[in-house]
Amino acid sequence: MRILITGAGSVSAIGLNKDDTVRSLREARSGVGPLKHLQTVHDNLPCGEVDLSDDEMKAVLGIPAEKPVPRTSLLGIIAVKEALEQAGVGSGLPGRIVLINGTTVGGMDITERTYPKVDTRLHDCGGCTDLISSYFGIFGEATTISTACSSAANAIIFGSELIKAGKADVVVAGGSESLTRYHLNGFNSLMILDSQRCRPFDAGRAGLNLGEGAGFVVLESEAHAEARGARALAELSGYANACDAFHQTATSPEGAGATLAMRGAIAMSGLEPSDIDYVNAHGTGTPNNDATESAALRQVFGDAIPPVSSTKSFTGHTTSASGGIESVICIEALQKQFLPVNLGWENSDPDCIEPYVGGSPAAPARRPLRHILCNSFGFGGNDSALVLSVPSPGGNSPMCQEECSGRGPIFSGTPRPANVPSTAVGSGIAGRDPGCKIGPRPEDEPSDCHIIVRGMRYIEGADFEWKHLLNPMKARRMGTLMRRTLVASLEALQQASAGPGQKAGRIGATSSGGESGQTALIPDAVITATGLGCMENSEKFLSAMLESGETMMSPTDFMQSTHNTPGSLISIHLGDHGYNSTYSHGESSLASALTDAFLQLKSGHIRTALVGSHDEITPNTSDYPVPDGSLALVLEAVPEQGQSGNNYVEIADIKAIAPLGARNLYDAILRLQEASSKAETVSCGPVVLRRSSGEEASGNE
Amino acid sequence: MANEQLILEVKEKVIKAVNLVDLNPEDIDAQAPIFGEGLGLDSIDALEFILLLERDYGIKLKNPAEGKQIFKSIATMADYIEKNRTK
Repeated sequence: MRILITGAGSVSAIGLNKDDTVRSLREARSGVGPLKHLQTVHDNLPCGEVDLSDDEMKAVLGIPAEKPVPRTSLLGIIAVKEALEQAGVGSGLPGRIVLINGTTVGGMDITERTYPKVDTRLHDCGGCTDLISSYFGIFGEATTISTACSSAANAIIFGSELIKAGKADVVVAGGSESLTRYHLNGFNSLMILDSQRCRPFDAGRAGLNLGEGAGFVVLESEAHAEARGARALAELSGYANACDAFHQTATSPEGAGATLAMRGAIAMSGLEPSDIDYVNAHGTGTPNNDATESAALRQVFGDAIPPVSSTKSFTGHTTSASGGIESVICIEALQKQFLPVNLGWENSDPDCIEPYVGGSPAAPARRPLRHILCNSFGFGGNDSALVLSVPSPGGNSPMCQEECSGRGPIFSGTPRPANVPSTAVGSGIAGRDPGCKIGPRPEDEPSDCHIIVRGMRYIEGADFEWKHLLNPMKARRMGTLMRRTLVASLEALQQASAGPGQKAGRIGATSSGGESGQTALIPDAVITATGLGCMENSEKFLSAMLESGETMMSPTDFMQSTHNTPGSLISIHLGDHGYNSTYSHGESSLASALTDAFLQLKSGHIRTALVGSHDEITPNTSDYPVPDGSLALVLEAVPEQGQSGNNYVEIADIKAIAPLGARNLYDAILRLQEASSKAETVSCGPVVLRRSSGEEASGNE
Repeated sequence: MANEQLILEVKEKVIKAVNLVDLNPEDIDAQAPIFGEGLGLDSIDALEFILLLERDYGIKLKNPAEGKQIFKSIATMADYIEKNRTK
């Protein structure tokens, strides 16, 4: 199934819409400069600020000035509006229309003004998304992805998956993020902000500039677009998500995650690296990112690196929104056939690629732009890449037809040997089976596998054992939620390692500090739900910032306050380069994460997934509607017949992205597991659970 | 060479700054490397040390790369503090 983009919208420091954005790019006009709207003591940190106050945005959008709306939502509404208008999607359109927003900052702009009072509905990332959704009144469902700086790219990936699985007809996906004092001080504490305009890939680069904005695209299938007569702007021809599994904030020197994401995205598109005409790099301007991304680009493209540029010296680093804004830039580049330049690059660095800085006006165009690779890398090593292509009816992607049917061993009933590298050779989505390098999805074939619960662990509160699994030196920076996340996950994975044909790794702490002989399954995907993330750390950083007047801020507290900290911590701990994503949409976070895992397992992208729901509730957030607990579920796709063991509980379906309590799901699965009756089906919120009897399964072995 | 008292003080501050919960000052060899093989600390810990220098000794480092030499060991850190402290 071809996924088309039929609408796009963008707001950033270089334009309140797409046309202004393109004009700024073509005229080499940066939006990075002194702050005007954000009130902070830092006057030496230029940013890419959207030149509208909150009140001005509310006036433009017809929102009453007195209504509290986070700036993240206001920016999101502006970009979604432009995208919907271009696509001609409105209230008259039937079918399931879903909004997927990527944000990490959420309503922190309001919280930092009212703390210690926290309005959890406004602070919440999901609450910000709901405000965007309710403005339009056309979205049946909404969710939020929070993988820091790759959030928007992962939103677009999940949107495409929903459409391919028939779970949505139209998806509006992207990201929105406002500047806040909170993350300005956070990035400053990491000493990665440049006091001048950033210079991605330059030998003298000295860090990034933060920016803000929103970028969204309208996704639909080719058939759906054709049926309603919508014009395609571009095709989303490939994508992949992989985890660097290296460090919470630093990138690995060789760029394992970035390489896997780029290779996976190109493979899914059915293209060769030589078909890529331009790369819109993540290119933040930090010494670390740009060297790592260059190393990864050299691995993927060898000596034939296509023109590469980072547009962050125009927009600043718009963090969670960057994948959305940059996708829109890539779509405009395809539409208008121009190459955005890498503004401000002057000096070559042997550790970096040399970016595209423009040619003389007389020089002929290099070649037509047909396929663009767009990179987004986030804290925690959450690395994603998209391939955007010029749409050409009938299909221009040379799909692999013979070598592989697109079906992994999961469908053949042959367990993958334990020593085969992760299918996913890192990229959950595109890597799939190691024997199938590229190829179409198995979408036209019936999904006859069962998604069974292989391992499960639930821990509530702060009183739990952890030293048997975590070395105190390794855990020294971990707050309660991080330790609880790891313990629940590792114990569920240990339980699951008893299954046949599993990849297993050693886990557990020994007195000498090494790892013990305990084994656990290493999942193909780690998908996490968390409403507020490590709130304990966020509040520690917030109160220190307010008390100290934005000085002497601890980088440790900041780096643990992104929502993807628990999820990426698991992959870092396991050395797991597979798919990794985090959903932060209040009570619907868990159903979102489960849906993501379920669809990937069903389609054969992956064979095993660790799905978690991890939250901590502080005194200031006691009205937040999720339990102070951690649920870890290990899911496995098994063929319809045979080798699934005896009694098991399977997830038969997830009907919608809707509220689902971690504790309720745990109790429901437990009751079914312990039930003495034979086959039985029960519903828990939107999830349909089924218990199969042992006789059925054993009869087939 | 910084005096014993300052070395002890730096050890205590380092233990607190990066939460080396199970270590006592006497467990740390003042000459041993702090990063990599030594205590196994990383770049975030180095940033915490930069913060420590500024907060407790009035020393402001502009470039995190300067930390490489200064934070080689507890002894080099104490030497640097002794020479550059403003409080």
